Amino acid sequence: MTTVLAPVEGAAVGLAAVPDPVFSAGMVGPGTAIDPLRGPGKAVAPIAGKIMKLHPHAYVIVGDDGKGVLVHLGIDTVQLKGEGFRLLATEGDRVRAGQAVVAWDPSTVEAGGRSPVCPVVALDALSDAVTGVAQGRVHAGDELFRWE
Amino acid sequence: MGERKVTVAAEVGLHARPAATFVQRAKQAPMDIAVAKAHGGDPVNGKSILAIMGLDVRQGETVVISAEGEGSEEVLDELAEIAGKP
Repeated sequence: MTTVLAPVEGAAVGLAAVPDPVFSAGMVGPGTAIDPLRGPGKAVAPIAGKIMKLHPHAYVIVGDDGKGVLVHLGIDTVQLKGEGFRLLATEGDRVRAGQAVVAWDPSTVEAGGRSPVCPVVALDALSDAVTGVAQGRVHAGDELFRWE
Repeated sequence: MGERKVTVAAEVGLHARPAATFVQRAKQAPMDIAVAKAHGGDPVNGKSILAIMGLDVRQGETVVISAEGEGSEEVLDELAEIAGKP
């Protein structure tokens, strides 16, 4: 069982609230999404493991058991080409759960006309493998859901 | 064993939406689907979004998609179309 932590502070709103069908229809996998607190902040690793992919706007951490969790910082933020994001770790690094990975500001993303909502997805998981999904206010590092 | 060589045209590469669409179609196929970079590297499981993201295919790179068994030609055609879509 993997405990997945909230990567950012905000309100857990569920994947259905994400304005992108790739996430809201669960095409990438089950999980939830966080509407982040506006203002400068640091997105942290949701699990302990290796940073398999690190983009400014998204990252995947893979645990020792092979489970991968995707954190996407805002929607369509690939178009920002890294502007407004600062990497605090390197692809391939091993990180602790809760360790800072990317510094960003959701209000800047929003000011650019994009949703800053952050999907947190259990990649390749079956939908019933995700339980105990938090709802409402979460701090970065709080338990967000469990992956059986 | 059927194969399709496709150059990935999407700006984001085989990530995000193209990757999710590809894996969703691959998962519906009864046979194994393998995806490899055309210029070397081990094939990965085409039904795993984690594996496809890990393959890290960028725009302009060519992948080889392979499958065998009944209906595999049709599946390969559809997967090649998804992977090659701009």
